[in-house]
Amino acid sequence: MKSKKIFAVALACMMTVGSFAGCKKKSDSSSTTASSGSDTTASQTASDSAADPTETEGSTAATEASTYGADEISDYTFLAFMANKEINDGNDIQEELAKRTGVRIKETWNANQDAAEAVGTMIASGDLPDFIDGGNGCKMLAENDCLVAWDDYLKDPAYANLKEMFSDKQWELFRQADGHIYWANVFGKTYGEPKTRTHNDEAFWVQVRVLEDANYPVIETLDEYFALLENYAKKYPKNEDGTEVIPYTALCEGWRYFCIENAPEFLDGYPNDGSVIVQLEGVDKPTIVDYNTTPTAKMYFKKLNEVYNAGIMDPEFATMDYDGYIAKLASGAVLGMCDQNWDFAQINNTFIEKGFDKKGYNYVPLGLVAQKGQTKNQWHAYADVPNVSSGICVTTKCDDPDKAFKFLNTCLDQDIHDLRFWGIEGTDYLVDDNGLYYRTEEMRQNWQSDAYLAKHVCTYSYFPQWGGTSRDGKNAMKPGDQESEFFATLSDPLKKAFDAYGYTAYGDFLRSEHITELGFWYPMYSHSNDMDTTTDYGMAWARMGDCKHEWLPKVVISKDFESDWEKYQKAYKDCKPEVFLEEMQKELDRRIELSK
Amino acid sequence: MKVANNGGAGSVVLKKRITKTELRRQSVLLIIAGLYVIYGIVFYYLPLAGWTMAFENFKLKDGIFGSEKVGFKWFKTLFEDKTFLRIIRNTLAMGVINLISTTVTAIGFAILLSEVRNVMGKKIVQTISYLPHFLSWIVVTSIVKDAFATKGMINELLTSLGIIKTPISFFMHTQYFWPIVAISNVWKETGWNAIIYLATITAIDPSLYEAAAMDGAGRWQRIKHITIPGIRSTIIILLIMNIGNVINAGFEVQYLLGLGVLKPVSETIDIYVLNYGMKNYSLGTAAGIFKTFVSMTLILLFNFIAKKTGDERLF
Repeated sequence: MKSKKIFAVALACMMTVGSFAGCKKKSDSSSTTASSGSDTTASQTASDSAADPTETEGSTAATEASTYGADEISDYTFLAFMANKEINDGNDIQEELAKRTGVRIKETWNANQDAAEAVGTMIASGDLPDFIDGGNGCKMLAENDCLVAWDDYLKDPAYANLKEMFSDKQWELFRQADGHIYWANVFGKTYGEPKTRTHNDEAFWVQVRVLEDANYPVIETLDEYFALLENYAKKYPKNEDGTEVIPYTALCEGWRYFCIENAPEFLDGYPNDGSVIVQLEGVDKPTIVDYNTTPTAKMYFKKLNEVYNAGIMDPEFATMDYDGYIAKLASGAVLGMCDQNWDFAQINNTFIEKGFDKKGYNYVPLGLVAQKGQTKNQWHAYADVPNVSSGICVTTKCDDPDKAFKFLNTCLDQDIHDLRFWGIEGTDYLVDDNGLYYRTEEMRQNWQSDAYLAKHVCTYSYFPQWGGTSRDGKNAMKPGDQESEFFATLSDPLKKAFDAYGYTAYGDFLRSEHITELGFWYPMYSHSNDMDTTTDYGMAWARMGDCKHEWLPKVVISKDFESDWEKYQKAYKDCKPEVFLEEMQKELDRRIELSK
Repeated sequence: MKVANNGGAGSVVLKKRITKTELRRQSVLLIIAGLYVIYGIVFYYLPLAGWTMAFENFKLKDGIFGSEKVGFKWFKTLFEDKTFLRIIRNTLAMGVINLISTTVTAIGFAILLSEVRNVMGKKIVQTISYLPHFLSWIVVTSIVKDAFATKGMINELLTSLGIIKTPISFFMHTQYFWPIVAISNVWKETGWNAIIYLATITAIDPSLYEAAAMDGAGRWQRIKHITIPGIRSTIIILLIMNIGNVINAGFEVQYLLGLGVLKPVSETIDIYVLNYGMKNYSLGTAAGIFKTFVSMTLILLFNFIAKKTGDERLF
C-alpha cells in the first residue's frame, strides 16, 4: 500500500513538473544557428544521394535554380490568431513554393481565441506550432523560452533578406528585456518607392453611392459627415432588395471596440499611436496625452449621442457582436462607420458575388477632422509603421531552426515573392514589352474567386513580405498596388468617384499630411498591448478598458449627455489613468533615448 | 461484507480490531478502495498545490516553486477593486435567481406532469421539455438574442398585444439582463431538472392518494398534503447540493449576452478571471480560491440549517 502511494505521489509530481516545463529551450537550437544555410540542406539530403546537394547556397540571389525533391520537403505548421481562409491541400502555388524552398507550411487560423489566452495554454502543454504569429502573446512566448532568437541569423549574411527588413535602430525596438530579438513584424514595410494605393487602416467610411448622390462633396467634419448620411437615408430609406438602410453603426465588442473608441486621436490630427496621443507642439519634449479626456473626445461622443437620439445611428450598435456587424455590412445596409479597413475588408468578395459593387455599396475612407479647415490630419500614414509588439516567430518546437529561418529569408527573394503575390507567370499574370506585369480580365476574376484562391493561390500572408516597388524598379511588390491592376479592378461607381475627385489612391480620400517619417517611438500601442495585470499600470490600463467598454455606449445612448459624461469621466478617473500615462511617458522617453 | 458494528439492542458498541487476517481477507476491497484514494489525491488534492500561485508573482518560466512570493497582495488587489465587489454581487444575485427560478419551475412542472393521466401525452411533453438541456449555450444564446431583439418574437408579441407601444431594446438596458438570464436558464433546464422530482413523485405510495381521495381530498389538497411532503427531502438535498453552485452563476450565457453597456450587471467571477487573470495567473488563482471559499461556506451553512430544522442533510 505504502509503496503504491509513494509511487502515486512520485507520478503526480512528475506530471506536475512536466506540465510546467512545457517549453524548455532546446540546448542546441541557438548554438548551431550561426552555421550557414547550406549545412541544413546537406544534412537533409544525406539520406538521399540522388538529390544534388550543391544547390541552395546561402546567397540571396542564387535561388532560381534550386528545386527540392519530394522527400526533402519539410512540413511545418503555422498558427495565427486571425480570421483567414484555409487553402486546399495540394494547392498549386504551395506545391511550387515547396519545390523551390524545401518547406511546406500548413497554416491554421484561430480567430476565436485571444492570442494571449491561447498562448498560455499552449505554453503549459508545450503544444506549439513551428511558426507562430503570437499576437499579444508574443512576449509571453519569449519569456517562457518558447522562441528561437533571431540575433545570430541577423548577423549572418546568408540571411540578408531578413536583416534588410528593418534598419538597425528599428531592430533594436524588437529587442526584448533578455537582450534577444524573437520576432519581426511582416506588415507595413515599403521596398523602394511607395506604391500603396489602398488604405488598410482606420477611417470614417462611407458607401460610394452616398457621395455620388451628393455630387461628390468634400467632407471634413463630423457634422458634415452625419448630415450626408442622414440626407441619403431620408431619400432612400430602403435598398433595392428591401433592406432598411442603417445610416451609421459602431462596433463596441471586445478588443474591436476601437471602432467607437479611438476616433478622437485622429480627429485631432494625430497618427494611430493607439492608446495615447504623443503631443509635440507647445511642449518642451514629446509628451503623452490621453485622448479620452480631450475636448474633441467630448465633442465626438456628444455628436454620436445626438445622432443616436435622432435615429441616425443603429439602435443595436451597442449589443451587436462582430459576426452580426460583418453580416450587417455585407448586406449593404450600412451607409457609414468608423473602422480599420482590415477589420471589414472580407466583405468585398461578398459584394462582388452579390453584384453590390456595381450598385456603389463599396466603402471609401474619409479623413474627418475636429474643426473645419484643420490641416493637421494623419489618418493615412505615408511612412512605414512597424508594430514591434508582435510578428512572425520560430518556436523551439521546430526541429530545424536553420531551415525555418532560411525559409523566412527565401520568402523575401524576389522570384518567391512574385510567386506568392502575383502567381505563376502565364497563368496568373503576363509581362508586357516594358517588363510591366499585368493581368487579363479572366485572371482578375480568378483572383476574386474564393474557390480559385483556395485551389491555386498561396500567399503565406503572415510571412515576411514587402509593399512598394519590386527589385526590378518597375513593378509593384503586390498586384493591388500596380497602377494598371488597381484601376482595372475598381468597380464603376468607385472609378467614377476617383475621377470626380481626381484621386489615384484610396489614401487621397483622407487628405492626410504627407509625413514620410514618423517619430521613432511610433506606435506607442506596441507598449500598451504588452501590458498585463501583474503591474500597477497594466491594471490601470485593463480597468480603463473595462470602464470605456461600459461607458462609451452608455453616453451615446444617454438621454442626458452632460450628466452622464460627467459620471463617465469620474468613473474613468477612478481607474487611475495617470499611473498608466506615467508609464507610457517613461516608455516614450526610453524609445527617444534608444534612437539617439 | 460483514458489518463491523453489529451490536444489538442494549449491547455495547464494540470496535473490531483490525487484524492481519482481516486485512488479508479484505485485500481486494482495499486495493480497489486504494485506487480511488490515489485517484483522488492525484486529481483533486495535488493540483491544489497550484493554489500557492495566488501568493506569488507567478511566472510560467519560474514555475510554482520558483516564483517570487508576495503574500496576500492579490487578495488585497481583489477586494480593493470596486469592479470585483460588483462582480461578486452579480455572481451571487444571478446564482440565487437562477437557483430559485429553476427549482420552483422544475418542481411545478414535475407536479403538473405527474397529474397528467394520458401516458402518451405525458411522455411526449417530457421528452420535448428536456431536449433543450442538450443544446450548448452558444446555440441557446443565439435563440435568446433573436427572441429578444428589437424586431424579435417577444417584442412583436408585446406590441401586438398592446402591452408596449414601441419595441424595447432589451439588451441595451441593465434592468432586463438578470431576468433574461433566468428565463434562458429556466427554458433550458426545467425539463431536465424535473426528471428527478418526477421520479420521486412516482415513488410515493399510491395508496396514500387513494386514501386521501376516499376521505374527500381534492386534487389540490392531495398535491399539498401528499405530493409536496413526499418530495420535501429530495428538494432539501438538491438545494444543499446546488447551493454550492450558486457561485457558479454561469460563464457562457453572461459572456455571450453581456456586451458593452451590460457589463456592470453581466460580469461574473469567471469572466473576471478570464479578463484579468489570463496573463496574470496569480490574480486568477486568488479569485478562484475566493470562489471555493464562498462555495464551501454556503454548503456548510445550509447543511447546518438543515440539520437544525431536522431535515435531510448531506453530512
